[in-house]
Amino acid sequence: MRYRALVALTAALTLAFGVASASTALGASTNTLTVWLQVDAQNGWPNVVAAANSAFTANHPGWTVNVQYQQWSDHLQKFDATIAGNDTPDVIEMGNTEMTKYMAAGEFANLTGMKSQFPNSSHWLGGLQASATYMHKLYGVPYYAGSRVITYRSDLFKRAGIRRIPRSLAQFQTDLVKVGNMEKRVKGFSPLYVGGEDWYTALGFVFDYGGSIAAYRHGRWVGMLDSPRSLAGLNAFKQFFQATQSKSTAKLDGTNPFPYTVFSQGKTAANYGPAWYTCCTGKQYAKVTKQFVMPSHVAGKPLPGFLGGSDLAIPAQSPNQAAAAAWIADFTSTASEQALAAKGNIPNATNLLGHSVNDRAAARSWFVPQATNWVNVENGNILKTMLGSMLSGQLSVKQAATVASQNIAQTLNQPA
Amino acid sequence: MSSTGTERTALIPAAPAKRPGRRRLTRVSLTRGATPYLLLAPTVIAVGAILGYPIVNLVELSLQRYGLFELVTHHGVYIGLANFSSVLSDAVFWNTLWRTVVFALANVGLTMVLGVMIALLLVRISTWVRLLLTGALVLVWAMPPVVAVQVWGWMTNLQNGVLNYVLTQIGIGNYFQHNWYSTTLSQYGMVTTLIVWGALPFVVITVYAALSQVPQELVEAAELDGARWWQVLRVVTLPVVKPVLLILTSLSVIWDFGVFTQAYLLIGPGQQMPSNYLMSIYLFVEGYGQTNFGRGAAISILMLAIVAALSVFYVRSMLRTGEE
Repeated sequence: MRYRALVALTAALTLAFGVASASTALGASTNTLTVWLQVDAQNGWPNVVAAANSAFTANHPGWTVNVQYQQWSDHLQKFDATIAGNDTPDVIEMGNTEMTKYMAAGEFANLTGMKSQFPNSSHWLGGLQASATYMHKLYGVPYYAGSRVITYRSDLFKRAGIRRIPRSLAQFQTDLVKVGNMEKRVKGFSPLYVGGEDWYTALGFVFDYGGSIAAYRHGRWVGMLDSPRSLAGLNAFKQFFQATQSKSTAKLDGTNPFPYTVFSQGKTAANYGPAWYTCCTGKQYAKVTKQFVMPSHVAGKPLPGFLGGSDLAIPAQSPNQAAAAAWIADFTSTASEQALAAKGNIPNATNLLGHSVNDRAAARSWFVPQATNWVNVENGNILKTMLGSMLSGQLSVKQAATVASQNIAQTLNQPA
Repeated sequence: MSSTGTERTALIPAAPAKRPGRRRLTRVSLTRGATPYLLLAPTVIAVGAILGYPIVNLVELSLQRYGLFELVTHHGVYIGLANFSSVLSDAVFWNTLWRTVVFALANVGLTMVLGVMIALLLVRISTWVRLLLTGALVLVWAMPPVVAVQVWGWMTNLQNGVLNYVLTQIGIGNYFQHNWYSTTLSQYGMVTTLIVWGALPFVVITVYAALSQVPQELVEAAELDGARWWQVLRVVTLPVVKPVLLILTSLSVIWDFGVFTQAYLLIGPGQQMPSNYLMSIYLFVEGYGQTNFGRGAAISILMLAIVAALSVFYVRSMLRTGEE
């Protein structure tokens, strides 16, 4: 019986501690450059990666590039584990909202002195360069950016009698309701499909009405989502959402299902998201998949879109920093960036910008507060909680925004 | 960490035979008495090395401020019990603890009741049906939790899930595009079905083995005395298998209290919020998501203490049963 007690206690200890275990990534030998890119590159532009690798190995005989693709949802946790084990990759792609915390902690190599070595670096997009800069020092290379646009079915819009691209939010809503009424017989059809908890969409409305997420005042962060302007934006979002969505999407965050999957199944006439959504809207709709800029409540202006983007950084522990910088230069060459632009991304430099729908949408954009702890707000799902509870009616818009505002201020003001 | 089959090892059902009383300490018995300890020593040393090192490390970590900055420099800052006091004064901790206790009790209760019922069924059915059922149970047991989560996720998907389709087709209601993950209760309903499904084989097979140890003559004698089936179950069968039930319950409590894989993956990493945390997920989000390893370690130690306290309760009652 004592043995069983031991078994029980051992099991207790093992299980309680099992949760705290972590794994480290594979090690890199001296002549292998380990690169962590997000799966977007694997799905969207593997040829750009391959071209950079061959350019790099041609100039660096004896080197091989080991590209490991990562998921947005857990790449930072894996990265932390490699830091603990002194076994970081040599190059890592970071979301522009993720940079600050790591720059502040001293995790990335200072690239200020080598800036001119990177192609088009004197024309880099201001927003992206700012996301890779901390205390006036450069810790990352802008990779690409993306705004958000409307991807829609032109056949449905035409059939509903819509002849012109909507110039205002109110007009767009009227058009969508028209399409929705026309397609009523399609079960589960939403004229526009976005997940209710897709905060990238919802906060566009907040910024459109002059609101914001948080402000830095007298040395402290103050939550701003419960300010009158932010509330006006959230109310506008709720009203727009309820007019154009089926109820069941209120608690979805736009990753399961992906909006373009719903599009490809014929269950929606439009998505609001990155311009590369055209990749996946379905072969049968390829000819009728078109895009326009999401209109603001002020006619003629675009709704401010989240300026998403990625930077490439070199972890301070990497023994191959010079080679890593050379690979980044190859990967962000003019040819690479033009290929990325062709896939529906915004290139990293102003001299490469065109007049695409994406570039026009980026004329008005918003970004998250550049606070060290911002990434904790994302990881804590504070914004999703707010949107889910206000759209499902659990809380009023004001209540939900007040709670979120307090939580954001508390998170941002925590000592790093 | 997970409560489904793969990690579970079959327990040898306790034989109802009487155990010898405690040895008296004489010189002869002292030398003889050392043998079991020597035999146990390798296991104890191995367990000590595997568990001892991380535990010492964890305790050390829980007394430090250890965030990203400390991770990069590989040096924590000693802050005493500040991590513990901040966790214990956090309303999220207490809400999560309460939610986890209710969740674990519901899961253990369902697992044990259904498990015993199926085991009793196994005794009564014909050999080939029993083989069929046992085969099915073993297949469930062999399914890795991550795969099971994926399949469960597909079946309950709001857009194309078979569950919504079937419920609508058979006329139970309109489940078209019903989101099974829209409320905490519904989320954990789904997680519970998955966990109980995965935990049943172990319980059923073990209880079935224990049931085969129930002396038939006792059952027959009781029946001759006019006992009905439930009286036989209550007075004869259950007391004999009680030690096995206790250890199964005890292990299930430990597993279900610390469950992570199914809850985290089925609900989804993007949907973990203070309003639906379980303890292990709270620990993961605080420690890893927020890169606050010291605080994560403190939560981990508190969790360990709770699970240890729960086990002590069961282990004590188990020992009492053994000594009767």
